[in-house]
Amino acid sequence: MRRRPDLYISYRDETAILKNNTHRVIALIIASALLILGYVADDYWILLLSASIFLTIATWGLNIVSGMAGQISLAHGFFVAVGTYTAAVVGGFSTEFPNKIIGYELDMIIWLPLAGIVAAGVGLIIAPLAVRLKGLNLALVSIGIVYIGSYILSNLKTVTGGAGLGRKTAGYTILGVNFKDGLEIGSLIFTKNQVLYYIGLLVALLLGIGVKNLLRSKIGRAYAAIRDRDIAAEAIGINLARFKASAFALSSFYAGVAGALMFSTIGAVDVERFGLLFSVTFIAIVVIGGVGTVMGPIFGSIFFGLMPGIIKFVIDHSEFIRDSIPLNAAQIERVIFGLFIVGFLMFEPRGLWGVWFRLRNYFKAWPFSY
Amino acid sequence: MNSLIKFENVSLNFGGVNALTEVSFEVPDNSLFAIIGPNGAGKTSIFNCVSGIYRPTTGVVKIFDEDISNIKPDAIANLGVSRTFQNIELFENMTTLDNILIGAHRHIDYGSVSGLIFSKKTRREEEKARQIAEDIIDFLEIEEYRYSYILSLPYGIQKRIELGRALAMKPKILLLDEPAAGMNNEETEDIARFILDIHEELEITVVLIDHDMNMVMDIATEVIVMDFGKKLFDGDPKEAAKDSSVIEAYLGVSD
Ligand SMILES: Nc1ncnc2c1ncn2[C@@H]1O[C@H](COP(=O)(O)OP(=O)(O)O)[C@@H](O)[C@H]1O
Ligand SMILES: [Mg+2]
Repeated sequence: MRRRPDLYISYRDETAILKNNTHRVIALIIASALLILGYVADDYWILLLSASIFLTIATWGLNIVSGMAGQISLAHGFFVAVGTYTAAVVGGFSTEFPNKIIGYELDMIIWLPLAGIVAAGVGLIIAPLAVRLKGLNLALVSIGIVYIGSYILSNLKTVTGGAGLGRKTAGYTILGVNFKDGLEIGSLIFTKNQVLYYIGLLVALLLGIGVKNLLRSKIGRAYAAIRDRDIAAEAIGINLARFKASAFALSSFYAGVAGALMFSTIGAVDVERFGLLFSVTFIAIVVIGGVGTVMGPIFGSIFFGLMPGIIKFVIDHSEFIRDSIPLNAAQIERVIFGLFIVGFLMFEPRGLWGVWFRLRNYFKAWPFSY
Repeated sequence: MNSLIKFENVSLNFGGVNALTEVSFEVPDNSLFAIIGPNGAGKTSIFNCVSGIYRPTTGVVKIFDEDISNIKPDAIANLGVSRTFQNIELFENMTTLDNILIGAHRHIDYGSVSGLIFSKKTRREEEKARQIAEDIIDFLEIEEYRYSYILSLPYGIQKRIELGRALAMKPKILLLDEPAAGMNNEETEDIARFILDIHEELEITVVLIDHDMNMVMDIATEVIVMDFGKKLFDGDPKEAAKDSSVIEAYLGVSD
């Protein structure tokens, strides 16, 4: 029986993630493209693509607590750091020289989820602040958390290696197989970074479905209720403290998982990485990508993650730009990023997602687009 | 237990303003209880004291014979008390359906992690919630607005949806703050009919605030009249209309 695309037979159909065959086909095409891309792209682009994926995961987390539940947090980078170091301790090597650094060399199947769980636990400890504070006050206090967190991490030398020295990230063993020097499956050969890319894709798929699930569940509705009208939410019986805590915990879980993977391509990490600017990056990505949706952070993260590559490409291929702009690639990147943040805040608060949304509606109505 | 809500000498003041002064009354089980009085009389303050949004300066509020002084607003709601607000407090950026589903929150039983993975239990509970919502949409005759965003709907419909959200909590006590305010005669009659149905068919005890006496006189089983934070009258609605102090309070108040 052929079904009408917008006719739902049951509530279950109506809330399904992929509602119809068009959605399924699009999902399949994107999935295949991403799988092939991982194999054909060169190492430089694999690094940028992986960065985009890890950023997406982290930004989904921020989107849960700030976009969905309305609790503005500038401390997201700190939870990413908690994930990074949990993974490094659980999955990394211990060294005695030049400093004593601890590491238990466990499998990724343990360190990856654990990084999320430990970060979620720390999120739960911080959550009561959000119960007492609102809006700008919470944002300001969360900045304090970044500074206190940096201070603690710098001094936990056996965990972080201390500022300026850093430590190696978690090891590259998954399900007993080490892919530090690449991986051979049948006739296919993958580099370490390619394997990390595919692992990132899989994790992002699972966690992306997680965000979608939250949005279509009682949890997402409760977050939105707290964000939009907290007094009405309470009068409905929603426990503000409990759901703010759950938003912080889930958000930090995503941050932790992202943190565990984020520096594994480079293989080393320094505490100085986790300053305030690092946390602000995630806010900026949410703003550029679009608040409150699953797609927004994907758009924002791809934009942010791939921009260095695009700028490099343009500079490499255009003598004119190379000669006429007195900025280096990193500076150009920052300027563009800044312009986008201001531009989106002023003209399209829904971010890149909103632009895409408008384009789509335009083409849906095309050629009758008036 | 025969009174669902009990005010014992409740006073409430805000830096010099006495919103309520020594107010006592009881809302009997199964009543359609009305609170009337001119603007600023303290009617909404009574509801806020029941919801736990305000705490009495002195005196005690009891719900189901339990002192609610130390019970948080969400826990009070979960005792089975739901309400609407004088100025509509819907979630404007959501659809009618989502607003009503939020109302059903307390009947959906699963945790955050279950929601994240959308477990079997989550699926089952969500379907149950949807059933609750559909029953209410049906009851209030708002099918055509199911997927409409609140912002796009007329005022009268929004009021009805807020009533729906309150009903989705399946309360034992329903507090309605001026449900007919700003409505024309026809819409007021619709609302009156729904309130009667809620009281009689769903057997919910209703407490109804109105600053206009007319609708209340027709449907209420008991009324208290407020003026300047004090209770002027308590009893049969038909008697209220004859009471001299009530008439005096309403003199000069033109509707
Ligand atoms: N949060 C508040 N802060 C200060 N004054 C308030 C507050 N809430 C109510 N009041 C005052 O209490 C009195 C009663 O208000 P209210 O209960 O809203 O009256 P009604 O609902 O009968 O119109 C009014 O004088 C009002 O200004
Ligand atoms: Mg009022």
